[in-house]
Amino acid sequence: MKLAADRLLGIVLIGLAAFVAVQAINLEVPFSYDPVGPKAFPLGLAILLAALASVLVVKPGTNEAWPGRQLGMKLLLVLATLLVYALLFTKLGFIITSLLAVTSLARIFGTSWGKALLTGVLMAVVSYFLFAHALGISLPSGYWLEPLL
Amino acid sequence: MKINKGLSTYAGMLALAGGLLAAGNAQAQSEATECIAPAKPGGGYDLTCRLAANGLEKTSMIDKPMAVSYMPGGIGAVAYNHVNGVRDDDPNLIVAASTGAAVNLALGKFGQYDADDVRWLGALGADYGAIVVNADAPWQSLDELMEDLKANPGDVAFGAGGTVGSQDWMKAALTAKAADLSPRNLKYVSFEGGGEALAALLGDHIQVFTGDLSELKSQLESGKIRVLASLSEERMDGPYADIPTAKEQGYDVQWPIWRGYYMGPNVSDEAYQKWVERMKELSESQKFAKLREERGLFPMSRFGYDFNDYVLEQVDQFESLAKEVGLKQ
Amino acid sequence: MFDFLIHGFDVALSPLNLGLALLGALLGTLFGALPGIGPINGIAILMPLAYTLGLPAESALILLAAIYTGAEYGGRMSSILLNVPGDAGAVMTTLDGHPLAKKGLAGPALGLSAVSSFVGATIAIIGLTLFAPLLAEVAVMFGPAEFFALMVFAFASMAVMMGKDPIKTAIGAVLGILIGTVGVDSSTGVLRYTFDLPELYDGIDFVVMIIGLFAISEILLMLENANRKDGNDGLPPLGRVFVSLKEVMACKWTMGRSGLIGFIIGILPGTGASVAGAVAYTTEKRLSDKDNSFGTGNMRGLAAPEAANNASAAGSFVPMLTLGIPGSGTTAVLLGALMLYNITPGPMMFSERPEVAGGLIASLYIGNIVLLALNLPLAGVFARVLTIPRWVLVPGIAILAFVGVFQLHSNLAAIYLMLIIGVFGYLLRKLGFSLAPVILGYVLGGLMEQNLRRALSISGGDLGILWQSGISLGLWIAALALLLLPWLLPKLWQAKTSKA
Repeated sequence: MKLAADRLLGIVLIGLAAFVAVQAINLEVPFSYDPVGPKAFPLGLAILLAALASVLVVKPGTNEAWPGRQLGMKLLLVLATLLVYALLFTKLGFIITSLLAVTSLARIFGTSWGKALLTGVLMAVVSYFLFAHALGISLPSGYWLEPLL
Repeated sequence: MKINKGLSTYAGMLALAGGLLAAGNAQAQSEATECIAPAKPGGGYDLTCRLAANGLEKTSMIDKPMAVSYMPGGIGAVAYNHVNGVRDDDPNLIVAASTGAAVNLALGKFGQYDADDVRWLGALGADYGAIVVNADAPWQSLDELMEDLKANPGDVAFGAGGTVGSQDWMKAALTAKAADLSPRNLKYVSFEGGGEALAALLGDHIQVFTGDLSELKSQLESGKIRVLASLSEERMDGPYADIPTAKEQGYDVQWPIWRGYYMGPNVSDEAYQKWVERMKELSESQKFAKLREERGLFPMSRFGYDFNDYVLEQVDQFESLAKEVGLKQ
Repeated sequence: MFDFLIHGFDVALSPLNLGLALLGALLGTLFGALPGIGPINGIAILMPLAYTLGLPAESALILLAAIYTGAEYGGRMSSILLNVPGDAGAVMTTLDGHPLAKKGLAGPALGLSAVSSFVGATIAIIGLTLFAPLLAEVAVMFGPAEFFALMVFAFASMAVMMGKDPIKTAIGAVLGILIGTVGVDSSTGVLRYTFDLPELYDGIDFVVMIIGLFAISEILLMLENANRKDGNDGLPPLGRVFVSLKEVMACKWTMGRSGLIGFIIGILPGTGASVAGAVAYTTEKRLSDKDNSFGTGNMRGLAAPEAANNASAAGSFVPMLTLGIPGSGTTAVLLGALMLYNITPGPMMFSERPEVAGGLIASLYIGNIVLLALNLPLAGVFARVLTIPRWVLVPGIAILAFVGVFQLHSNLAAIYLMLIIGVFGYLLRKLGFSLAPVILGYVLGGLMEQNLRRALSISGGDLGILWQSGISLGLWIAALALLLLPWLLPKLWQAKTSKA
């Protein structure tokens, strides 16, 4: 398992290097004032990356343990929460989405629903006033809120 | 509880800092006018937004301060797409723009949208290009530089704060063209911003810097540089009075850098006209003239359809230049 | 000769200005401590406020300069406590700062970093006072060829970080450089790796990069620690609160050297606190890491980048004040603030507006004393952030990450990008990569490529320009020495003593 991860990484990186190189070669350059141009540097990096990755395939290093099934699910939950937070951020506004995201994250990190909800409400409201009013940072208030304000 | 103590101390500090600030900033948040600067804080677009925001506030033409928000990305393309796609009819939103945006539109760098996809509102000020050399350089006039440039284009390195195809590059390209030299055969070095290019000029790493007049003020005073020509229609006054224009030296190169604004494509005629009137009135006020001067800008007043036509015509010109040198098919 | 400074202290010590320096120091610490809202944004947010309040020029500048210095102090806090750099200069601080906190030495680490910051900044401010006009001449001698040589030197000095897994360190650096190539090529204007997404034209923003790479991946890693079966939830013990005099004295030469390095790098336009921190850290590792404990919580490994990044912040005032050329993003914003007051910085400023030039320098001295006085006793309080349970801390980090990126971009694409980079960072860390080479590659790679190409377009393709000047030649020799010494020294060592 440990060995496989680095081998796999090496193969993925060689693929990445090939992609980088192909993209660089296909760049259309109207004209360049310097003899190096925009292609050479990425090309050189791609070759270097491929070489280093080959070493990894031949001689894999050590990795940390990978998360098990249960932890993996939680990881996906955290990512899903962050993604939904981002998706709704401007639509529902900062306060509502932060409340939801904070509650959900607090819950995933192992506290009770009650405490999670309380943290969510407090954190969303306090940070809104801190950022928007005290520090003058403009935050999305949400399209639906505008007629109410 | 340890936790609460730690938190409350932290929160207390935040609240203290916040409270002190809130005193000066209490009414800043509310439904009001907004200006988007399509860049990070601190650049030219920020300055353009602040010019309108401070001007309108100082002259009491708006009762609530205008919010300035930043939308960097795609050298302005992200904001351009945003205004076309999301807030296309917002009557309270203006976006800062400049000659640089017109150049990018001409090169098709704003994606699917063209120059006539927004409503160009007006320009509140302008800066002018300048051809600058080190005070120790052998050239005393634009003529002398042009002679050397024609004879040995490889010995004169131009530098400026922009890529090939940017408005900074255009100044160098047009200068080369005035010397009957193809912009492709020029020796040109691009830097990150005018400041770095100016430093390279002072250190003799490049020989000619094509910059903007307003960024040269302190160097002019210290006598470390020589401005061979300003790329304006007429001579400027103040500290720039001794700088001849390129035109009076026989080279027809002009490069005004206007600082203006546009609005969404579906903004009503009524809202658009209201802004045009507002900008016109602002540009005529004495208080505003002082603000504009403080920001190192020269007067320029073009508004409404007049400005709209001006921008579209400019984009056409840039497009033909870009095609000529092979930047665009 | 120092009339302007005496005059300056006179100005800076007025009750209003002293109060503003204090307020600025507090706010700056806050801005620096919040990831993503670094000095640039802090100043940009507060600049219009200073202007609206009608503060006179020197007072406004004192406030803004205090925010700048404060942010450099604040940036280290989340580096040490959360392993999330508060700003660019604090990236290297995570390397030894966070392991110290994990060992239960968060308080002493915060205290030591405050002292180091103070020493570094003081060295730089003294340098600024004494040699500013002279140094400005040196700064402009750095042209593209010299910058390229400097970058070669910086990469060579990174070789010491190779540590236990040289291949992965190198891969990390290459990946970082590749991320740095995304966007408009700043020479030809060609779009590289943007996939027709305008959001990528300007490249991947530094803030998005560090928040994603460090903060988001940290959240994912914390989940793992919070779910350990062995009852160790990953919360480090609080331990001792104050740094001891002995610990400070042990680092005195480290601080001195690093302060000097930071100051010199800060003076050069275009290189910032992140480069200063990296060079100081790697230099110090080479000089004083006898037992190979850098990266595992060595006090010197913390003191070096802290002294350097504060010194570089003060150093970047040199080109701004003397040439009117901003040496960093933050001084560019400060320059904008000066323009609002119709002051054009340059050699004439010291004679024409001595109250501004002198007041600013004096306020830097005062600001640093205020910050040291503020930070030493508070170290214990801040260290308590570590005892906040994960279910409060993680949502807090998430909110800060979102707000930090959003206020800078007003745009969701940047937030998605931050999340993608976060997952990428998590995978890298699980695969045994260190993040520092990635971020350094990202910062240095672009500078290296562009300066190489600039140099070659000046010379018309002649490679000779790269080592023509004394400065670049010296840097090449130093870089070569850095690479060869670790290989040569042990052999010399072995010749003297039989055991090694």
